[in-house]
Amino acid sequence: MLSIAAVIVMADYFLKIPGTSAVVTDLQNWGVILSAFALGFGAVNLFYVHTRHISRRTPGQWPYSIWLLVMLVLFTVVGISLRYTGPEYQWLYNSTLFALSATIYSSTGFYIASGCYRALKARNSEAAVLMIVGLIVLLKNAPALAVAAPVLVTMENWLSAVPTTSAQRGIMMGASLGAMALGIRTMIGRETGFLGRLTEAER
Amino acid sequence: MSKQEKNIWEKLENLPREFLYGLLLIAFILPMINPIGLPLPITPEVKKWYDTIEALPNGAAIIIDQGYSGGGEPECGPFAVAVYHHIFKKGGLRVIGVATTQEGPLLWDKAMAEVNPEKYGRKYGVDYIMLGYFSGVETAMAALGKDLRALTSTDYKGASLDQYPIMQGIKGATTFDLLICYTTGGDQSEGWVRQWYTPYKTPYLCNVLALMMPTMLPYQKAGQIVSLTKGAQAGEMELLVKKPGRGIASADVMTMTGLLVTAFVVIGNIAYFARRASKKKA
Amino acid sequence: MLATGRIFGLGTLIAIWIFALVSMMMAKKKLPSFRKLAGLDALPEMVGRAAETNKSVHFTTGGGGSLTDPVLPQLIAAMAVLGHVSELCAKYGVKIVYTVFLAEMMPIATEVMRTAYIKEGKADAFNAESQVIYMSGDQFAYSSAVQGYAERERPAANIMIGPFYAESQLFAETFFRVGSIQLAGTARGYQIPFFAVVCDYLLIAEEIYAAGAYLSKDPAQVGSIRGQDLGKVLALILTILGLLATMAGSPFIVNLLKM
Repeated sequence: MLSIAAVIVMADYFLKIPGTSAVVTDLQNWGVILSAFALGFGAVNLFYVHTRHISRRTPGQWPYSIWLLVMLVLFTVVGISLRYTGPEYQWLYNSTLFALSATIYSSTGFYIASGCYRALKARNSEAAVLMIVGLIVLLKNAPALAVAAPVLVTMENWLSAVPTTSAQRGIMMGASLGAMALGIRTMIGRETGFLGRLTEAER
Repeated sequence: MSKQEKNIWEKLENLPREFLYGLLLIAFILPMINPIGLPLPITPEVKKWYDTIEALPNGAAIIIDQGYSGGGEPECGPFAVAVYHHIFKKGGLRVIGVATTQEGPLLWDKAMAEVNPEKYGRKYGVDYIMLGYFSGVETAMAALGKDLRALTSTDYKGASLDQYPIMQGIKGATTFDLLICYTTGGDQSEGWVRQWYTPYKTPYLCNVLALMMPTMLPYQKAGQIVSLTKGAQAGEMELLVKKPGRGIASADVMTMTGLLVTAFVVIGNIAYFARRASKKKA
Repeated sequence: MLATGRIFGLGTLIAIWIFALVSMMMAKKKLPSFRKLAGLDALPEMVGRAAETNKSVHFTTGGGGSLTDPVLPQLIAAMAVLGHVSELCAKYGVKIVYTVFLAEMMPIATEVMRTAYIKEGKADAFNAESQVIYMSGDQFAYSSAVQGYAERERPAANIMIGPFYAESQLFAETFFRVGSIQLAGTARGYQIPFFAVVCDYLLIAEEIYAAGAYLSKDPAQVGSIRGQDLGKVLALILTILGLLATMAGSPFIVNLLKM
């Protein structure tokens, strides 16, 4: 079934066969609906996992499970009864999830700084090159320094346009070919790792 | 070399991260409280973005993917707001918003509250509209490109699209003049290239996180993206549209933290080489 | 019948499929050799270290993507590695914990890990409830939960394979701080530098897709990797020909690619 659906979608992209376009549009719309259901599945799973923590009084966990379920129910009730586009839901989102997400994401700035301090050391020639390139990019991305030293802009533009882009193209091509090989293995049923089934050799 | 001297270099090479984070925090906060007003260049990519929108004819339809999450809003949000200011100030353009992340519609509301389109005389349903979140990323993009009206018949508030003048003549990718995507996810930024640019050749402007730039550059160099910018360039867009905001305020922070991290790297390297030299001497 | 501008793409896709299928058939007669992937060779060492220190092994597939995203191949590849690591952990009596971001991965991971334990004859040792832990479906809530897990449990080894977003940096640094030996792999190019700076072993992009074949030595899987490599040779030939043709002023290769 998977292989047939995949071939139909690919055929619609490469070939102009009357009738496939409507079938593919339906398949794509079903895909969108199924993926929306997966979100609901996550919420149900959260409920199941955390109600078990509460009923078993898992040490160090169950008070947080209660809080999680309270927030889950609150978001759901507010979103459904007062609409998720309303000011109440917006306030709830801004004061909890948005603030916390932005904070956690901002902590990567600190980690990157300590990572640079630790890793950008000229221990050997390759590390020295990494350090110099890293410093050029870092300084160019400081706006005032880009104005004060236009040579940084020229150097960083060359680094981005030539070695970085070429390396990225290589990585992208390799990753795409890898995904294509994995796809063909999955379509002919030879990729069994994710199903937990034994391979031919193991059988 | 004395034991004391050796210890100094070792200490400098292994500064406690709390000390580094403390200095970094000061570099973040001071310029925000007391802006220095350091110079800010306008790069060609941002100018090209601006010119692309400026060149759109009256009645042109723009589809905008509000594809960043709450975590990425401090970076992508200011750029998006500056662009919305530009679009609404120019006038005569139709903005159809979609979201490929769950938080997209909420962040759209946040951006609209900051921009206040009504101030420019723009009306919801006439000049701009948000269709809501579409799950499935590339599957959704492909479906939107084929036939948007088959995928949804309501806006994000549940009202029928038929009542909105802005939706007249809007069907799929071929009815749009421009695609804009603000995103923190590579799946979205690359997905639009595959699902809209490649089959329909829709001109595409993309704004991503700074760390995603190397991955997206091949698409820009190949001409698949008209202009690729990062959220950190919001200050430049704000200067162009003459609407100072969070972007310009963060420019000083970027300069100060960049200098500070450079100083960390230099100190670390000096300490490393001095320690090695002292070991050789000993 | 053929869509304009996509003929060459179709031809390339069919060519790579043919390479993969023929290589898979040839691999049944003689298994092609792999170059060494240090990260995957280090897996027994990592699990052994966990056994010696009486600590657990942590596995994550990251906080990005879903089963309907184009990153699905990365999740499939990660499951292949999870299966192999679970076998090693079952063999050495080490607890392996998979912290889950996508709820729909839970039954898949449970089945993969259970099968691994069964293969080692230790079906009773596997406890899905404590070894497959769903944290959250929100990226940063998941990140915080995993960071908290790292600080509390201090696993001896951390294996991160899959589609990662910003949490790559958070995980790599946190597990480094608690002293875990780390193997990471992702096909998301812009996250690779964060792993490269901190992790002990790294799988770059396509190496994660080869992981399943490398670990299982299944002829079909190994053969398809060879087919993929032939695809790379084709890409290299086209690149060189394109470069030479463009330098000579001929748009032939460019026009061929645009067909």
